[in-house]
Amino acid sequence: MESGIFHTTYESDMALRRTPIMRWRIILAVAFTVIFPFIGNSYTLTLADQIGIAAIGAIGLNILTGFTGQISLGQGGFMAIGAYTAGVLTTMVGMPWWLTIPIACVVTALVGAFFGIPSLRLKGLYLAIATLAAQQIIQWAIVRSPLGTDALVVPPIKVFGQSLNRLRIGSFGGIDFWFYWVIYFFLALTILFAVNLFRTKIGRAFIAIRDQDIAAEVMGVNLFRYKLMSFATSSFIVGLSGALLAQYRGIVNYERFTIDASIFYLAVIIIGGLGSVSGSVYGAIFMVLLPATLSNLGQSLSGSVPGLARLIPFVQQAVFGITIILFLILEPEGLAKIWRDIKDYFRLWPFSY
Amino acid sequence: MSHKFSRSFFIMMLVLVGVLALAACGGSSGSDEPIKVGAIFDLTGPTSDVGTPYSEGITDFVSWYNEQGGVDGTPLELISADYAYKVDQGEQLYSQYVNQGVVVFQGWGTGDTEALRSRIAADEIPFMSASYSDVLGNPDEAPYNFLIGTGYGAQAVTAVQWGLDNGATKFAIFHHDSPFGQSPVDMAKSYAESHGASLDVFPMPGGATDFTAELTQVKDAGIEYIIIQNVSSNAATLVKNITDFGLDIQVVCLNWCTDELFVSLAGDAAEGVLGTSPFAFPGSGAAGLKEMEDYLSANGGSLSDKGIRYVAGWLTMKVMTAGIEKVVADGNEVTGPNIKAALENMGTLDTGGLTQPLKFSSSDHASNKAVQFFQVSGGTWTAASDYVAVP
Repeated sequence: MESGIFHTTYESDMALRRTPIMRWRIILAVAFTVIFPFIGNSYTLTLADQIGIAAIGAIGLNILTGFTGQISLGQGGFMAIGAYTAGVLTTMVGMPWWLTIPIACVVTALVGAFFGIPSLRLKGLYLAIATLAAQQIIQWAIVRSPLGTDALVVPPIKVFGQSLNRLRIGSFGGIDFWFYWVIYFFLALTILFAVNLFRTKIGRAFIAIRDQDIAAEVMGVNLFRYKLMSFATSSFIVGLSGALLAQYRGIVNYERFTIDASIFYLAVIIIGGLGSVSGSVYGAIFMVLLPATLSNLGQSLSGSVPGLARLIPFVQQAVFGITIILFLILEPEGLAKIWRDIKDYFRLWPFSY
Repeated sequence: MSHKFSRSFFIMMLVLVGVLALAACGGSSGSDEPIKVGAIFDLTGPTSDVGTPYSEGITDFVSWYNEQGGVDGTPLELISADYAYKVDQGEQLYSQYVNQGVVVFQGWGTGDTEALRSRIAADEIPFMSASYSDVLGNPDEAPYNFLIGTGYGAQAVTAVQWGLDNGATKFAIFHHDSPFGQSPVDMAKSYAESHGASLDVFPMPGGATDFTAELTQVKDAGIEYIIIQNVSSNAATLVKNITDFGLDIQVVCLNWCTDELFVSLAGDAAEGVLGTSPFAFPGSGAAGLKEMEDYLSANGGSLSDKGIRYVAGWLTMKVMTAGIEKVVADGNEVTGPNIKAALENMGTLDTGGLTQPLKFSSSDHASNKAVQFFQVSGGTWTAASDYVAVP
């Protein structure tokens, strides 16, 4: 019988997979991710792709907000930078799609670092307003530029001279199927990067800044440098999600990157768990599936209870809000904490304290 | 702590299981194979004030049409949901419905129409919506989009021509600060300039309530006509500002502020405002309104309460259905490409005066080439012209 997990060596304490169960769970998760596109249809694959992109974006935001403690309302704007950079490079420069993604990441990182400059002087709510300004400035610039009038159409990705939409192998194919692999490849890279980041000096400096910035500075952490680095790292990953979105949907339109997007991502990391990489993924799954589930529920109920049909959209909105409030009250540390509690409960059963 | 948590956890799991079970129940369908139509509506989002009557127009047309016997005995099945003007949710619903076998799709706003433009072309799903950007009428750019309303640019050009005919040479356009708002600006500006007139451009930032600075410029420049490309609530704010500022100037609304809501919000300031509309107002006596009036009065409603957005929704669904009817009449399989071909080849479609007769072709999906001018008098929009062809 266990009474907890105790490490006796530094190696086991620092390991990414600290228990055999964890190892099995990761193998299961990877296996499921690989099998899923073969059992899913275009609808479930669309959901999965949206979850993947949202998870990448949420991990990016979590590095900044959850790990470094810098609130950002500029997420939508930074995603737009990534998406428009990838879109413009593809349509106007004629670059291959895979090359646009890393360039879009770097451009977004630079823009993010620029808008991170005020973070040296501003904290908390004041920084939130400064990043909100970043969101508005980027949005304004896009709408006023020649790009703003019409949506930017990104030509479909071609493999062996055939567009991905039409490419089929057996009964599997379509853009949702092919892009699933691209998105989840990048999600895996992002997760590995983020998890490892917080085992390095830089990641620990981020956490030190979040926990007590003055103490961190006293210990020799250069606040300005590390805050900018956090903005750049976070924006790099956010730019990745924006660029993937542009290539996946084949069209870039600013309406997807408004303040609503910024708030959506904040909700994802709050529900998933601030300062948790796996929480970002759980949060993305939850926030993408909740409206889909509610709308399916509404559709099935409207058939059986006809008078209710007109009310259902409003009920959906209310349920969505109530769920988020309940989360904040019952488990402010998010889904990641709930998952940890479940594991502890069974590990320590029946003699939990 | 784990004790407290476990209770809430199990409650949540129960709710989740219940939700999934119910959602699963909804999957089964009847044995008859209706023609499936997908639609997304904004019933709770930022444009729900006009999105709701538009959606009722679509749903009511489908029920009315099925009461009349459907397409040669086959009913239409409308699969729809609210997407609250959220692009992501619009995409989810779209791919869900395509997966359920819809052959055509009714969208709503600029956001979702643009976001789905590439997808509908890849999936070959004919698509109509209430976004009338001129680019959607060009099959090279948007092969599966079909425009029912007159394009925003075309409306603005017609409004400029109306002003030119009345001796004006100085125009201004006030527009929503978004792609939707900017859509007509370039066309209107180049048209005005090529006719020896000028056109100044003023964006209207979201949430702005005071346009004194812009109106001072308008006054100094001696502008005679103001064209508004915005939704009713913002347009009403601007028109009230104009009245308070004491400017005597002719205002022309494009179709998204030419509605009953604009008049009720702007009150007295709305008097004398002109509006362009691709569609006939309820009460204008157009023959095509009768079936809506009959349906609504049989179901305890009235068309004047529903307004012009209801007419637009009904008509849009009706035109889509005309394409499906032609496919069935020609004995073809009801698929997206066949419906596209049918719409392009069905010739001129008479809408009973709801619009100028509509005509699609394989090189032009902007079916509506005319607008009617209306003017607010005594608190209602009254016809100020017959249908005026876009110059």
